[in-house]
Amino acid sequence: MRIALLITGLAGICMLSACSSMGVEPWERDILAKEEMQLTTDAVEAATDDHIYFSKEASSGGRGFGGGGCGCN
Amino acid sequence: MSTKDKPAITAALAAATCALLGSTVAEPVQAQEEPGWDFNTALLYYGEDDDRVQDLSLSVLSRLTLVDDRFLSLGLTLDGLTGASPNGALPQSVAQTFTRPSGKKTYTTQAGEQPLDDTFLDTRVAITANWQQPLGRLYLINAGLSASKEFDYLHLGLNARISRDFNKRNTTLSAGFAISQDEVDPIGGTPTGLTEMLPSSGDDDDDDEGRRKGPAENKDGLDIVLGLTQVLSRDLLLQVNYSYSDASGYLTDPFKILSVVDGVTGDAVPVAPIPGVDGPSHLYYFEHRPDSRTKHSLYTQAKYYMNGKVLDASYRYMTDDWEIDSHTLDLRLRLPLRGGHYVEPHLRMYTQTAADFYRLSLTDGEALPEYASADYRLGDFDAITAGLKYGWKTGGGNDMHLRLELYKQSGNVSPDQLIGNQVGRDNYPDLNAIIFQFGYQFGK
Amino acid sequence: MDTVLRCGKTASLLVTISVLLLQAETVSADDPIDTSAYEGKVVIVDFWASWCVPCRRSFPWLNTMHDRYGEDGLVIIGVNLDQERAAADEFLQEFPPRFSIHYDETKEMAKAYGVVAMPTSYLIGRDGEIRKTHYGFKVKKQNEYESAIVEAISESE
Repeated sequence: MRIALLITGLAGICMLSACSSMGVEPWERDILAKEEMQLTTDAVEAATDDHIYFSKEASSGGRGFGGGGCGCN
Repeated sequence: MSTKDKPAITAALAAATCALLGSTVAEPVQAQEEPGWDFNTALLYYGEDDDRVQDLSLSVLSRLTLVDDRFLSLGLTLDGLTGASPNGALPQSVAQTFTRPSGKKTYTTQAGEQPLDDTFLDTRVAITANWQQPLGRLYLINAGLSASKEFDYLHLGLNARISRDFNKRNTTLSAGFAISQDEVDPIGGTPTGLTEMLPSSGDDDDDDEGRRKGPAENKDGLDIVLGLTQVLSRDLLLQVNYSYSDASGYLTDPFKILSVVDGVTGDAVPVAPIPGVDGPSHLYYFEHRPDSRTKHSLYTQAKYYMNGKVLDASYRYMTDDWEIDSHTLDLRLRLPLRGGHYVEPHLRMYTQTAADFYRLSLTDGEALPEYASADYRLGDFDAITAGLKYGWKTGGGNDMHLRLELYKQSGNVSPDQLIGNQVGRDNYPDLNAIIFQFGYQFGK
Repeated sequence: MDTVLRCGKTASLLVTISVLLLQAETVSADDPIDTSAYEGKVVIVDFWASWCVPCRRSFPWLNTMHDRYGEDGLVIIGVNLDQERAAADEFLQEFPPRFSIHYDETKEMAKAYGVVAMPTSYLIGRDGEIRKTHYGFKVKKQNEYESAIVEAISESE
């Protein structure tokens, strides 16, 4: 639990400082805009696998939401 | 065999329908340009060896794109399950008879075989609805509903997420939650944990008296996910998520049992047969799990573009208050071929430690623990998946793919857990399964 | 959030840079650009790329604006920020523009303007000052974008 909190805290700090210097210009997102570069490329396949492994193992989920991609609009 | 003799899926399997944030239902936003519908469909076959579970499912995810990056997604999944599942009892050098969950008939496992409850037949219907839209320029919001029904299980869920971009959209922070309310209503009623499996009634009357089985039970869930996505370079994307999950209520599997064994020989304790009544051949107790479970997960994923090839690597660490720790490493490498085709090998490695109340069997004469389960899914095991996906575009420009995966699960039973004759027997029901999927996406 | 007013000096500088860059490296569908063509005109400088979905949505609208207000002194310049020319050309085949296109290969123009989103369009008045900056392209805001153009056109120098 403490480790999880620590990492979450670090993520917050990262956003404020280090992450602000990382990244690319808005016009350099051509590769990130590709379909195969999205974090979830196939929602049905991801949901199917999650269901299978949830049924056979004691762990589940983890995936997140948002980010990456073309960054448009 | 009447339908009443066919118990539905165990609670654990059924609970897979809960609105876990991990199983995203919204398609990635990139593809659709003009308002309209697009569809993602898949037909899946899952089959375990040794006459165990087989599942055939059809999934359809339809998405309506509206002006200015707004999406409505509607998903439908139909599952048909058949086959047998380990009931938690240990294999013996003699035949064993068990009472079916309905309480009306019995089934027998041959000597030396893994006891499997073979009265397995169920269909499941799951639906999801999801709305996504931007909020202002930098926020994205998403809200959804989920529901599923099978013979003895009902799930209802609600979820919502929000994300905000920073640093010229190189950084995204997101937060989301999901709540669920499930109801388990097993055939024959819910057995009281750590009580004996009783003989069958032998008739078709609805008579649950004296079976120590209770009414339907509830299970509530709360999931929270916090995420950070960071663009590291033109071809490298990273995501880190922390998840908190809390389940409370009836978490026991109503169909799983434990063998009661002799403290010296390690063999199951036989039960004296009652004339004219079919019943268990040995002493078996229903399992009992705690009524709450708290999980923490840390998940990280990277996508790396290498001159047309894409590497998708993810790692998840999970720990909970049942003392289960797990590690998951998932690697996919997409290799483009000519003409828009691609091939994607996949490797997944998984390991988990056992729940603190997991045990192979109960020992005759010892005091009963508060919680106990022999469900292999809570045991100490390693698993590996190796697969290959092949994708192409149809003449009309639509995506199709075929996926074949092999899943192997091997238990780690340490010698100090074994008593007497258990040494030398195959006590843990290793799993070997094949996954075959055909996918078709159209309308984009 | 979508509109930012910049101070006059910076705007004039940017327009000057644009004009110089356009003079130096123009490869547009039209004849070589004449600087005098921009004096007293309302100019939209629109930064786009082939992989940007909202950019695809904006092209038909930009064509409409070009048709509607071109005679009243509106000039639209679509500045391409693709990494590869071939991708841009393929896009232009699918969405042929009636306005001029400039390829900002070195990305100097994008940096000079401080582009932070794709697409971004700058509405420059007849006096050379930036009137409005629009980040992204929203179909629902088309009327708002158009009103800004009308306002800029109706201004006398």
